Amino acid sequence: MINRRSLIAACGAFGFSAAFRTAQADQPHTPQAVLCNWYKLVLKLVRHTPTYSPPVASRSFAYLGITAFEAAAGGSEELRSLAGQLNGLDGIPRRETVQTHDEALVIHAALAFAVRNFFGNTGPTGQRVMKKFEEKLFAELSEGLGAEVIQRSVAHGRAVAAHVLDWSAGDGGAVIENMGFPHDFELTPGAGKWVPTSLIAQQQMPLLPDWGQNRTFAIATGASCPLPEPPAYSEDKSSSFYREALEVYDTTRALTDEQKLIARFWSDDPMLSPTPPGHWVAIAIHILERDKAGLAMTADTLARLGIALSDAFVACWHAKFEFDLLRPVTYIRRHIDAAWEPLLITPPFPEYPSGHSTQSGAAADVLTAVFGDNFAFVDATHERDGMAPRAFPSFWAAAQEAGISRLYGGIHFRAAIARGLDQGRCVAQHVNSLRTRT
Amino acid sequence: MMRAACCILCTVILMQPAGAQNGPAVPSFVDETASSGVNSAYTGDWEYMVGGGVAVFDCNSDGFEDMLVAGGEAMAKFYVNDSPRGGALKFTAQQSGLELDKVTGAYPLDIDSDGTMDVMLLRVGENVAMRGLGGCKFERANEAWGFDGGDAWSTSIAATWEKGNRWPTIAIGNYIDRAAEMEPWGSCTDNWLHRPDTQQNKFAAPLPLKPSYCPLSLMFTDWSRSGTPDLRVSNDREYYEGGQEQMWKIAPGEAPVLYTEAEGWKYLRIWGMGIASYDVDFDGYPEYFLTSMADNKLQTLAEVPKEGKPKPTYKDIAFARGVTAHRPFMGDDLKPSTAWHTQFDDVNNDGRVDLFIAKGNVAEMPDFAMKDPNNLLLQGADGKFVEAADKAGVASTAVSRGGALADFNLDGLLDIVVVNRWQPAQLWRNTTADAGNWIEVKLAQNAPNRDAIGAWLEVTRGETVMRREIIVGGGHASGQAGWIHMGLGGAAEVSVRVQWPDGTWSGSHSVRANSFIILDGAKAAAMPWTPPR
Repeated sequence: MINRRSLIAACGAFGFSAAFRTAQADQPHTPQAVLCNWYKLVLKLVRHTPTYSPPVASRSFAYLGITAFEAAAGGSEELRSLAGQLNGLDGIPRRETVQTHDEALVIHAALAFAVRNFFGNTGPTGQRVMKKFEEKLFAELSEGLGAEVIQRSVAHGRAVAAHVLDWSAGDGGAVIENMGFPHDFELTPGAGKWVPTSLIAQQQMPLLPDWGQNRTFAIATGASCPLPEPPAYSEDKSSSFYREALEVYDTTRALTDEQKLIARFWSDDPMLSPTPPGHWVAIAIHILERDKAGLAMTADTLARLGIALSDAFVACWHAKFEFDLLRPVTYIRRHIDAAWEPLLITPPFPEYPSGHSTQSGAAADVLTAVFGDNFAFVDATHERDGMAPRAFPSFWAAAQEAGISRLYGGIHFRAAIARGLDQGRCVAQHVNSLRTRT
Repeated sequence: MMRAACCILCTVILMQPAGAQNGPAVPSFVDETASSGVNSAYTGDWEYMVGGGVAVFDCNSDGFEDMLVAGGEAMAKFYVNDSPRGGALKFTAQQSGLELDKVTGAYPLDIDSDGTMDVMLLRVGENVAMRGLGGCKFERANEAWGFDGGDAWSTSIAATWEKGNRWPTIAIGNYIDRAAEMEPWGSCTDNWLHRPDTQQNKFAAPLPLKPSYCPLSLMFTDWSRSGTPDLRVSNDREYYEGGQEQMWKIAPGEAPVLYTEAEGWKYLRIWGMGIASYDVDFDGYPEYFLTSMADNKLQTLAEVPKEGKPKPTYKDIAFARGVTAHRPFMGDDLKPSTAWHTQFDDVNNDGRVDLFIAKGNVAEMPDFAMKDPNNLLLQGADGKFVEAADKAGVASTAVSRGGALADFNLDGLLDIVVVNRWQPAQLWRNTTADAGNWIEVKLAQNAPNRDAIGAWLEVTRGETVMRREIIVGGGHASGQAGWIHMGLGGAAEVSVRVQWPDGTWSGSHSVRANSFIILDGAKAAAMPWTPPR
């Protein structure tokens, strides 16, 4: 492989606030910088595309990561294709001749195609930004390249992306109607079963009740990381269930400022943040840029992280609708304090396990496998929303904080958090078993 | 105390509008767009995805309300109202001086208190204060009035007269930084507060309202009945970072200060697009309807202490009252709705205020309904609202934005105008045969603030007290001045009084139903008025 850009190791030196000012950065045209910058745009689009609830976002992160990975793997001696390793993925288009591709342009073309398709439903502002971003970056990357190289690189990037897009169409998650809320859904009868908690009419149905049946990537099915049953439902004050509810109630009534801050830091509300999976992607990008990771490292990390996040959501949703447990707000108002208000808005779907915990557990173990144990980092994901960065001694510490934030927020019982983290670790084991390197 | 003054039960007993035995009487509207003479579309691309307002006001002193329709990229169009009383709606396009391009919204406001209506034009670019010259002619007055029109994407406006001032205070809401092509999110530009200068005959330099979060509707409103209105701001969460809904304390002579969580203001983040206010539950305090995308809110005070002075804590009763309007109520497009202009008014004159919502996709947002009918939600005796736009004949699925409910032909029935993106504005004449009784009131006082902005109008029928605040602001890019319409149900006579902006009360005036009156703060008696044609 001969390519002037691939010799530059830095992933791009953009801060998040300058995500798209490609011409001003010192190394904006390395393939890894191109990849990071597309991801930064994706984080914005996730926030501003109404169908992008956390499960939907995680799915796109998986496909975008695989797209970039396969586009990079075709020209890399370090990366090994995931074809044959992920459920239903094979036949990745091969390059005609390795020597005459521009890696940055391949990545750009692949991501441009994929992002345009995965975010085809975004609003007029997102459409406008995508178009301008693609045009500007293409012009910059093409400068000084021969027409044949440009044509060949773009064609290959698009071919890989189109192949992945075709594959994605059959996983059960490609079409999202009514922002993920079914028009009809029969609630399960029973005192301990989930009931709507929102005053928003659309959310009288649970979000994406069939998501747990989607095709997975690295785990066999949504049932591959099963959980024990939650504590047996009971209204008896001496029961474990009541004690868990009382813990939520007591904790939320005496929250410290730090606990409130933690709850809000990990709240990651859809349409107001990059969502929980986007939060972990933002962490990864920040580290990859800080450590000037190369293309192989960047593509490998983002692919594995995306796969883990997506499989975690499928596994979690499978369990949520298997157990169909009611939320703390329902139980506490019925049996402890009718006027209780949780700090966070209760999400419109069953409680057990905690989705943020499952996906954080998965993300933490995948990132630990990539970067190592006790890898300290600073999480500045929400800095532009006025929340100060938080420092963590390890990915697992961050995942645990993400988990307990849901108890502070009053939206999960403790068991859902602990077992969610366990479920995430199970998913990560499968992902970490993938062979991504030659 | 006002909350205890009456109850819904009393109201139910007193109101007996025709046809109301089985739910609210459904009004009838006739689409007179084609014959009305109004032919104006709100045009333009990305920078005109919001806005699209209409100003409704009388500028030739015939009592019939004329209108200015924002054109977006195209010129705004002014129409003089030639409708015969009670007849078909007739408008004639006329050069007025208001025909500027890049107009997103328009609000009538007698800025210089000379008794001739002026018009504030919101624009993509420089906002323009247009001085009324009489006879529906206007001239630019930015320089004469020291009004700095700036250069922003202006989307909303509200006005008040702060106590002791002879010149109005105007708040302007600004949207995205147009230059931030690659990163528009988080680029909300400053809103402005234009206060009078020390001479009180023109504006001082505008004060930036920091932080600003891309509002699409502003409203000065005396939410606590303290006598001093505050500034409510409904913000579009699509573009802000770290933002939320806001309310500014606007104390005369002091810097604006935001209400805080510690004071009771609750953290709420919606795609705020329009505000309507009205004392829906007859407790003396206004409720607020906030339009959004699939998540409209009807807010009422969470608690009103017996001694008054409530905290600014609101709870959402949209679901309980049946006004979520979260998706199309008809047709086969069941995707979420996008709501813009909204207005409380009584379209069937049953004495219960109804709610109109203009709907329309932002632009090619396939996750949201493309055929999104406007809502006409009628309030029933139980305080719940039921949809009637289709039965009433106003369920247009055009891509709507601004609008107004106004009695264009002075027959006591509110007509509707809606401005549409890329398609002609639409007019519907209210032809309801069995509507209840009504009165229409115009307020006047000596300068300044000739139109008594900030006053409260009270109409009493038996033990039912209907109240509405006189405001300039709210809705979506659309303002009104002129007759204040109140439906009366079966009441043949009502008692009317006014709390003037300075806090003083007028005497009570006994007014016959189905009549127009002018209440002038300088005169003891209510003056009856008869349409000239």
